[in-house]
Amino acid sequence: MRNLTQPGPASLPRRICRPAREAGSFRIQLAPGEDLSNGLVAALTARGIADAAVELLSGTFEVMSYLTGQPDDSGQRVATYGAPTRLDGPVRLIGGNAMLGRDAAGRPLLHCHAVVVDRAGGVHGGHLPPGVCRLGPGGAVAIVVALAGAGFRVAADAETNFDIFQPAELA
Amino acid sequence: MPEAESRDVVLEAGRFGRLAVIRLKPNEDLVSGVEAAAAEVGIVCGVVRSAVGSLVDAALGYGSGETAGVTSVEGPGVEILTLSGELRPDEAGHPRAFLQGTISDSDARVYGGVFLRDANPICITLELVVQEWLPDAAEEVG
Repeated sequence: MRNLTQPGPASLPRRICRPAREAGSFRIQLAPGEDLSNGLVAALTARGIADAAVELLSGTFEVMSYLTGQPDDSGQRVATYGAPTRLDGPVRLIGGNAMLGRDAAGRPLLHCHAVVVDRAGGVHGGHLPPGVCRLGPGGAVAIVVALAGAGFRVAADAETNFDIFQPAELA
Repeated sequence: MPEAESRDVVLEAGRFGRLAVIRLKPNEDLVSGVEAAAAEVGIVCGVVRSAVGSLVDAALGYGSGETAGVTSVEGPGVEILTLSGELRPDEAGHPRAFLQGTISDSDARVYGGVFLRDANPICITLELVVQEWLPDAAEEVG
């Protein structure tokens, strides 16, 4: 198993684990025309949910873009995102996972990866940024478990040189 | 999912319990890292509720027996697109992870299979939420 040397010092522990409690389970059906990430965030925050684990079950897109990883030749990080790939619909969402947490300023942030099928049957997938994935007919369906006691907060990570979600205890 | 040892259908009644919010850091092995994290919070039986992350390289198993094979994907920057699966206790009562899913490489090709042990090092991070599954006594059906 190949290991990579990160740009910053490795910090201990190598696993961060925070116990949490369920604060409710929800099925969300988003409407056509909504943006996937922004729609999920809006639906959950309207219910007072700021921390959640999301399973994407199904959906369609009118248009979407995704990012995939690649080596970072700058040497500042071991990997980074490449240029976005745009797919024009109909595109079908066949699965995905997302985490709802908060950015460093306390605003809601959804980190979403998904796999989709394009109009020609080709399978694609990657990181789905907010604002570029407009849902098509039927919208999308997600199952959500809301978290209490712990969640994800963005913090600077010196080891990887990214600002990323870190498990955090919640008041 | 663990390989079934008998041909009987097993229906396991139960309920969901506690959750764990987990991050695995770079170079941790996906499968053994999930097991160690679950053990740390005292979960031996559970399901993955969501997972988002990336791998240095990936090794995905498919088929079984004589047809078993491995898809090896070189990174870094392999994205985990979907990850599902469960934790079940082994004979000693330790959690064992059975994880499968889909990944993409730097050319946006997508692959799927079972994540193999000691072969899927974390690249930047793995964000994971696991929920405990609390089984009642299992019943054999039919």
